[in-house]
Amino acid sequence: MSAVTATIAEDKMEARTKPATPNEGARLGFRLTLPAQILVLFISAFPLLMQLYISVTDWSPLSGIGWWNAWEMWNSFANYTDLAADTRFWSALQRTAIVMLVCVPAEFLLGLALATLFADDFPGKRIFYSILLMPMMVVPAVAGYMFFMLFQSGGPVNDILSRIVGGPVTIAWLSDPTLALIAVMVADIWQWTPLMFLILLAGLVGVPEDQMKAATLLGANAWQRFTTIVLPKMKTIIIIALAIRVIENFKIFDTLYIMTGGGPGVATETISVYIYKVTTQDLIWGYVAAIALAILIVLSIVAVYAMKRMAKGREVPV
Amino acid sequence: MKRSVPFEIFRYAAILAAMAVTLVPILWMVSMAFKPIGEWSATGADLTWWPRQPTLANFQFVFGHSTNDLIVALDHTAVKPILSSLLSAVFGTVIAMSAGTAAAYGLSRFGSGQNLPLALIQLRLFPPMAVMIPVMIMWAFLNLNDTWWGLALIYGIVTLPFAFWLMKTFFDDLPREIEEAALVEGCSRLRVFTRITLPMMRAPLASAALFVFILNWSDYLIALLLTTREWVTIPVYMASLSSSMTGQLYGAKAALGLIAAVPPVIMGIAIQRHLVRGLTFGALKQ
Amino acid sequence: MSAIHLKNLTKSFGDFAALKTMDLEIADGEFMALLGPSGCGKSTTMNMIAGMEEPTSGRILFGERDMAGVPMGRRGVGFVFQNYAIFTHMTVRQNLAYGPKMRGAAKAEIDRRVGAIAEMLQLSPLLDRKADRLSVNILQRVAIGRSAIMEPAIFLLDEPLSNVDAAFRAVMRTELKQLQRQFRQTMVYVTHDQLEAMTMADRIAVMDHGVLQQVGTPLEVYNNPANVFVARFIGAPGMNLLKGMPAESDRGLVVDLGPLGVTPPLPDELAPAVRAARGDVLYGFRPEQVTLAERGLSMPVSFVERIGARTIVHLGEGEGAVKAVFENDVGSSVGQIAVVAPPASSVRVFDAATGLAVKAG
Repeated sequence: MSAVTATIAEDKMEARTKPATPNEGARLGFRLTLPAQILVLFISAFPLLMQLYISVTDWSPLSGIGWWNAWEMWNSFANYTDLAADTRFWSALQRTAIVMLVCVPAEFLLGLALATLFADDFPGKRIFYSILLMPMMVVPAVAGYMFFMLFQSGGPVNDILSRIVGGPVTIAWLSDPTLALIAVMVADIWQWTPLMFLILLAGLVGVPEDQMKAATLLGANAWQRFTTIVLPKMKTIIIIALAIRVIENFKIFDTLYIMTGGGPGVATETISVYIYKVTTQDLIWGYVAAIALAILIVLSIVAVYAMKRMAKGREVPV
Repeated sequence: MKRSVPFEIFRYAAILAAMAVTLVPILWMVSMAFKPIGEWSATGADLTWWPRQPTLANFQFVFGHSTNDLIVALDHTAVKPILSSLLSAVFGTVIAMSAGTAAAYGLSRFGSGQNLPLALIQLRLFPPMAVMIPVMIMWAFLNLNDTWWGLALIYGIVTLPFAFWLMKTFFDDLPREIEEAALVEGCSRLRVFTRITLPMMRAPLASAALFVFILNWSDYLIALLLTTREWVTIPVYMASLSSSMTGQLYGAKAALGLIAAVPPVIMGIAIQRHLVRGLTFGALKQ
Repeated sequence: MSAIHLKNLTKSFGDFAALKTMDLEIADGEFMALLGPSGCGKSTTMNMIAGMEEPTSGRILFGERDMAGVPMGRRGVGFVFQNYAIFTHMTVRQNLAYGPKMRGAAKAEIDRRVGAIAEMLQLSPLLDRKADRLSVNILQRVAIGRSAIMEPAIFLLDEPLSNVDAAFRAVMRTELKQLQRQFRQTMVYVTHDQLEAMTMADRIAVMDHGVLQQVGTPLEVYNNPANVFVARFIGAPGMNLLKGMPAESDRGLVVDLGPLGVTPPLPDELAPAVRAARGDVLYGFRPEQVTLAERGLSMPVSFVERIGARTIVHLGEGEGAVKAVFENDVGSSVGQIAVVAPPASSVRVFDAATGLAVKAG
């Protein structure tokens, strides 16, 4: 693996070649980017307006009128005020936050620990590496099903536990509210620690070896080298890795839904599961549109803020 | 740097522990896929880690051959879901890669579409659940619900950010001298792109396409919302399998899970080198 | 300060013997250059002195102290890397303070030492600059300062000038030499550039293929190469070596240079040794010492390089080719016949079979 360079979104956006005939280049560039622009517009502008429109109505697919006639069901901003008082929504949001606050740090620390072990060469490295990456390539729904099986009360997890304690263990993992949440988080950590491992390892091998040696010669021990050289050099990469997992973890649905369906009760109902249920079971789409918009707006603000922060502290190659 | 013997012992011990944790869930499913019905669900001492009587009955069952053990009738077999997964993922990849590659080239070489990088990152940022209402309405309106081509279209859009960013970093890395030489020779820019650049980029294109395919193939939520019966994909089909007579069809589901899990794992290992780049939107290159 | 003794040192990487055998005494306060082409084992030797690699066999002593098993952080060596290995994410001050800080020195103590070393290296105005955008000579000073602040007994420098522009090297060489005078530490300097070794080192250890070829002062190595390798490697261009057969004549012992058709005399003091060796010899002389003469080697000019202050005239071809360096332009042009002769005192003789210099008595 060669050196790792970290660049941030807005870098290198300007074209480096001056077109020989500027018009030809600009015209071709426009035509080449057109399909992507149309797709982006198709999935953002129109749906956003539609969402905005529906979110101020009581419209539902069962209401017997087309969505474009939803104004007939105008309810001023009742959906938004309902949302503020929707305890199920807020507790789903809180649960999502808890899952994130447990899973992302756990994945980060485990991934970093593994990456440290893989920083130099040793016999068997390649094969171990390939195997350890496998979980992140398993279809999430299938991973959910794996853990659904593992956590059955007559399943292998309890079997292993019973071998350890030397007596029968019949924990009903997926039907206990707390344990179900733990099980769901275990599945997420299992699946996504490899991603942290992969990204952090790429960063770790990019730390210049000479600087590590220099630090050693100057008397730094392993821990000091880690905190004074490795971590500062990996700052950008760590931020990127954490950002990716925070974003993806916020959307958590597939594994969780297959394992528990959000249950027992609402014990594992995260924001995506909640919206899914309101969409498919309660069918109050006007309300769903309001929730979705609220989330989009909050996320956009967070995203813009984060981008600004990143652009400010932009760090170029280590 | 030289490592001590205790460190090496610790390293192998830690890695072996991680390997065990990694492999147990996978192996359990593999084992389950080959277990006869009698071994599916067991408690305590009856629990079997390896099938005592390995069988292909689970695979035969999901493809519609009823066996002696499983006298449950499926209202449809796994053939169509597999077809649906394949078609939607393949054509979704075609859409994402065509639009993404063209746009990435346009931006990388001509500076067109300056808004795209950020717009596409934002697209990836939002939970799909938060934009699905309008999509469901639009897809119903366009008669795309419960079709593989409807899925392919949304997949193409959802994975467009990855296709675009991956190809953009590949184009940025590609030295321009060859293209410039061809321009001097009098080729048109479009011709340079299609006849010179793209053929040179065959390997990166293949990696990016595999990466996008894995993402499309892995979807569950979108298919869950946009397909209902005719063109459900493997994960949706798998999750829906259960029977009032036998309860959870563990073995059959495991067999399906195995079918769904194998292609992306193999492809993922094949493009290992580019995984970091893909997963970080090209921000990190390995 | 400390002397370094290398005793029967060897190093193998698998089947590859990077260092076949090495015995070297480096005196306290000496500036020793390890010189040789790439792959000669010079860097391996230095890495072993620094403790980055373990010797396969043999011993390394600093003064009386055996370094076997002493980790590199505890050897008290300062090391300047080829690329300086400056901590780019820190300021100059943080770089200089790194060593004392890692060893838990008090804040006031660190400040005092950083101040002192920065003063000495003229880095004071730059202390709060980020280290990732400094010019090479500053980087070199920071690298030296960062090591020097630990007051190491021994300084090791690994080709510190190889990444530097040719034009800037002279400046850097002078600066390095001055720094060494200031610090008075034992310095080991690895390089493949003989100019650096010749201008800075007290003594040079010439290495090739994992074997130490010769140790001596720059002038010794230049004037009296121990073998054919050193003769060809030192000097630019290297020593002319012509194969010939010793023969007796009425002028004393001469050497028959075969196809060149001349039989120049061999130095009298070498005659007994040459006679004793009985075999072909290599007749050597430095290109710089050649003069145009009436009698001598008469050869066709094949190529003339005029490089300003000096002119290099290439004579003949193949094994019998000779180069001559003149301070001023000489009127030679390609195709002409030139007659050149080395003064008797500058002639060196090597045993053609062993490659070793033939020494008087």
